[in-house]
Amino acid sequence: MKKSKLLSKAYLLFLVIFFYLPIVYTVIFSFNSTRSLTHFESFSLRWYEKMFHDSTMTDAIFYTILIAVLATIISTVAGTITAIGLSKSKHIVKNIVGQINDLPIMNPEIVTAIGLLMFFSALNVKKGFLSLLLAHIMFCIPYVILSVSPKLRSLDPNLADAALDLGATPWQALVKVIVPQIMPGVISGGLIAFTMSFDDFIISYFVTGNGVTNISILVYTMSKRINPSINALSSIIVLIITLVLVLVNVVPMLKERKGEKLT
Amino acid sequence: MKNMFFKKKNFTKIIASALCAAFVLTGCGGGDTANKSDAVEKYGSDTLKLFNWGEYMGADLISNFEKQFGVKVIVEYFDSNEMMYTKLSAGDSYDVLVPSDYMIERMLKEKSLMSLDKSLLPNLENLAEGVKGLPYDADNTYSVPYFWGSVGIVYNHNNVPKDQVEQQGYGILKNTDYKGKIYMYDSERDSFMVAFKALGYSMNTDSDSEIQSAYEWLKELNDTMEPVYVTDEVIDNMMNGSKDIAVVYSGDAATILAENEDMSFFMPNEGTNIWSDAMVIPANSENPKLAHEFINYVLTYDASYDNSETVGYASSNQQVLDDMSAEGGLYDGNEAYIPRSGYDKDEVFEDNEVLRQKLADLWIKVKASK
Repeated sequence: MKKSKLLSKAYLLFLVIFFYLPIVYTVIFSFNSTRSLTHFESFSLRWYEKMFHDSTMTDAIFYTILIAVLATIISTVAGTITAIGLSKSKHIVKNIVGQINDLPIMNPEIVTAIGLLMFFSALNVKKGFLSLLLAHIMFCIPYVILSVSPKLRSLDPNLADAALDLGATPWQALVKVIVPQIMPGVISGGLIAFTMSFDDFIISYFVTGNGVTNISILVYTMSKRINPSINALSSIIVLIITLVLVLVNVVPMLKERKGEKLT
Repeated sequence: MKNMFFKKKNFTKIIASALCAAFVLTGCGGGDTANKSDAVEKYGSDTLKLFNWGEYMGADLISNFEKQFGVKVIVEYFDSNEMMYTKLSAGDSYDVLVPSDYMIERMLKEKSLMSLDKSLLPNLENLAEGVKGLPYDADNTYSVPYFWGSVGIVYNHNNVPKDQVEQQGYGILKNTDYKGKIYMYDSERDSFMVAFKALGYSMNTDSDSEIQSAYEWLKELNDTMEPVYVTDEVIDNMMNGSKDIAVVYSGDAATILAENEDMSFFMPNEGTNIWSDAMVIPANSENPKLAHEFINYVLTYDASYDNSETVGYASSNQQVLDDMSAEGGLYDGNEAYIPRSGYDKDEVFEDNEVLRQKLADLWIKVKASK
């Protein structure tokens, strides 16, 4: 019995190392004083300084975060409302909309990218921030709908009616009864949408313009020579994501404990 | 109580603070608007849209240009001519592009380039001899060369004797002594060029039998030599000495030689491809006057020096070329810096749709066969 536990722990450790070693390597070498990726010379913040002085990089970071946050919020709201509406629609409407919804997910990204490129050109929309944002919202919504719909199916249909009977307005019934129950689905849909938007490359590359770039495009076009500032950028992204994940998971736990202590 | 964290109020706070953090992180961009109105008066607009290769400009090129002329430059990057072409065909308008020779030829056929007003380009006289009279645009009516180079063999002279490389030329890539120690370029045009030259054919050939022979040459190489197909990774890999022989662009070779003393460069006697990337103005440019100004600026000594120093490719400015390779210059003694010119077996790629398609199909077969 003990042996298999040890084995499974060792296996888990091996997996963790396998996944995270490249990231650790990147972070360590982002503090290297020379360009080399094989020999660590000495500790230095040279590449971080270079990164913050490079306005192309800081602009890219700014746009990536801004687009990701905006696209997540808008697509989460739109997706949730759509999913709620769909759950109450006729069977055939559910089918058709469901299939249309699945298309962006199943389509290879390059097809979506070229399609959007031609779409925006046909409508004479000047490519730039707006076209990028619209494209991101477009491919994020399906993920939100897919996350929220299962939660809706497990909903008790009578609760909303009960709320209305007890004097709630439709808006209150929606916000105070339905939404809190499907909240886990909405949150996970939002997180998926954020992830898809944050690291999107191929769709962003084709629909952006006017100097608006994001981190993925920047890294791709800088792949000619290893630029250690990219390591610095990656390390910062890893740091931010780790912080966000820690916050999202630890803070509710702490609040729960506080709540328990009070009662 | 569990969902208290996700209540509407908290969410708004979190998102607001995230946005604030993003703004603070990227700082406020200060703009020198002193010369803005002058620029608008002179050129009609104060913004230039440049579409260039990634990592292909000097570190201060753009900021110096912006300061000197009081304008703003919006730069976008591409990593292949085909990607550039796709974005262009969607109707995006740029003021200056930097495509390669065959792509310029293609765009000329489609009449999508603006002819240059030479009166606005006095610095054309700085052009290096080696880039004058290029076949696709001999009089610089539409294009002004930016960087140029050739394709050659980088080899580790400690492991591969120099006279062997010079004697065998491209044949050394099939020398089984170096099996598993070679890099080939993952590009059908460049690899087929190597095969055509090795067999003594023109790289712009139309003949199906010659194409077939080249295909078999490459297939044999693939099957017997275990080559690794790379593109830009070859630069760093050869700097670290991962393998002994590689097919590399001359500019990248110059960088490799500068960083790794064990490496040498050789342009085979069978001939090679002389390529050039040139600045052009698309027909739908919204700011042609400023575009001309930019092209003229790039041809100045300081801008060209900055470019060549950062990127390592051969400059189109004659004086920069001379100074870099002269005694004490940055690339003094670096045999890869200046491409060969005037050698009759060296050729420039021509734009040939049919040939391109055939090579693309055959290249997949070359890499797949084992």
